[in-house]
Amino acid sequence: MAKEKNVKDKINWKKEARLAPGYIIIIAWVVFTLVLLGWIIAASLSTTKDIFAGNVLKFPTGLHFENYVAAWGSGGVATFFMNSLVYSLVSCALLILICAPAAYVLARYTFLGNKIIQTGFVSAMGVPITMVVLPLFCLVANMGILNNLFASKVTLIFLYIGINIPYTTIFLLTFFANLSRTYEEAAAIDGCPPTKTFWKIMFPMAQSGIITVTIFNFINIWNEYFLSLIFANSDELRPVAVGLYGMLQSMQYTGNWAGMFAAVVIVFLPTFILYIFLSEKIIGGVTGGIKG
Amino acid sequence: MKKNRGMIIAFLTPAVLIFLAVFLYPIVRTVFMSFFKIGSVTDSFDLWEFVGIANYQKLFGTPIFIAAMKNIVKIWLYGGIIVMLMSLLFGVILTSGIRGKKVFRAIIYLPNIVSAVALATMWRQYVFAPDYGLVTSFFKMIGADKLAETLWLAPENSFKALLVAYCFGMIGYHMLIWMSGIERISPDFYEAATIDGANKIQQFRYMTLPLLKGVFKTNVTMWTVSSAAFFVWSQLFSSVTANNATIVPVQYMYMQIFGAGNAVTERNAGYGAAIGIILCLCVVLVFTICNIFLKDDDLEF
Repeated sequence: MAKEKNVKDKINWKKEARLAPGYIIIIAWVVFTLVLLGWIIAASLSTTKDIFAGNVLKFPTGLHFENYVAAWGSGGVATFFMNSLVYSLVSCALLILICAPAAYVLARYTFLGNKIIQTGFVSAMGVPITMVVLPLFCLVANMGILNNLFASKVTLIFLYIGINIPYTTIFLLTFFANLSRTYEEAAAIDGCPPTKTFWKIMFPMAQSGIITVTIFNFINIWNEYFLSLIFANSDELRPVAVGLYGMLQSMQYTGNWAGMFAAVVIVFLPTFILYIFLSEKIIGGVTGGIKG
Repeated sequence: MKKNRGMIIAFLTPAVLIFLAVFLYPIVRTVFMSFFKIGSVTDSFDLWEFVGIANYQKLFGTPIFIAAMKNIVKIWLYGGIIVMLMSLLFGVILTSGIRGKKVFRAIIYLPNIVSAVALATMWRQYVFAPDYGLVTSFFKMIGADKLAETLWLAPENSFKALLVAYCFGMIGYHMLIWMSGIERISPDFYEAATIDGANKIQQFRYMTLPLLKGVFKTNVTMWTVSSAAFFVWSQLFSSVTANNATIVPVQYMYMQIFGAGNAVTERNAGYGAAIGIILCLCVVLVFTICNIFLKDDDLEF
């Protein structure tokens, strides 16, 4: 980043001055965002007493990493964190295995029902989750799944996959549609069956689209709240978002604010780290999946 | 064509089957449920009692549901205006050639990747906190003691606080959509306009805005979809029981079906289904209006 700036031509002060109002607005907003995040991180390393005394940024008693240890261990964040990790990783992997082939045939072949399936998927992206949650709950509850830990986890993963199928498929469909057909034609001439062509040639070629959509799925599933709230009915099942909400409720009674902020930081850290390394890819993907 | 049939079926079946199970079947069942009185959400079909549109009539006669609908409309309308204007402003500034565009863009979008529960907690426990909060400290610093004493999370202010916090998190996403639209407009247009003597403001008013009609539609669509699912923020900005100031339909539905609380008058899963249908109809209504008023087919760029 720094290198790129050095190469740029000299600062044109007249132009910069004209843009000054823009700079002021944007910088004010950015500073606010950074203060918000910075203060939360500082508070998580502070003590409840210092927070209420307004001494968060001074650290009069040093850095308190034990807040993290406490939140992770006795606070129960470890369980929620591992649950979220398993849910997100398994769902993301299966989503690609399910959606990439579907997206490929929808993008490449004309057949009866192709248009209907595509329209169905696109419409589903606009359907409020409240439209589907009651029958799903009825189904799951009547199967007696909610009393079994492992079955409940499988159910949650199934639901995370289900609600993300339309988005993932449509995103990858656009991606496959933009790949050149020449590779498949060459493979066909060489006698490669279409299924093998897909897995050996087209699937690897779609790698960058697959990675982008997986990052989005990971963030979405990591932060998912409504379904988890309804279907994860015990602490052993809860992912971070719902777990954190439960912790917040109990913090009101214990009054451990520093510990609460530590829990908040642990919850947003994974997506935050992902974002630091992949922000360009993520930002590029936001507008890639939707039609302008 | 024929020889590919096996592959097409094999590749599509898993995705389509899961889609049918998670979307189509539940949607159809929810539509039916909304016309029945259902004691418990897990009741089998033979326990349902057909009541026609009574569920809808009763909902619109329930003050707390009316309050919830009013709140969500306010969030959609006021929040929508704030978010659309702010995100457009940021988008225009970031595409006007300022330095550090990528860094600024990344930081403005950042709140979108943070869990809503974590973000709402930051606002509640830091920005709006009464003792050490950011807003309070800021007003104290500039000497506005009266404003510094305001309790932002008290029932009379909580809706405003909620709206501001929610909008903060949404601006980055809509800004990116605006930016993608602005960046697609060819610089040649602006060059030609500059040669013809149009100033920056005229260019924005007569070129950028009309060309962004399609992008505006996308923005409104996305905003409407996320408004219909609005839930986490309300739950975090209200106390254990719902409070009329911040309740929204999804929250009301959740309490009706899954939770206890002061909002539950009578157990009936049909209400929950009807709420889902009402929200869905609102989304469809907005889509339709958008499609009528924002035809962008005639514009090619």
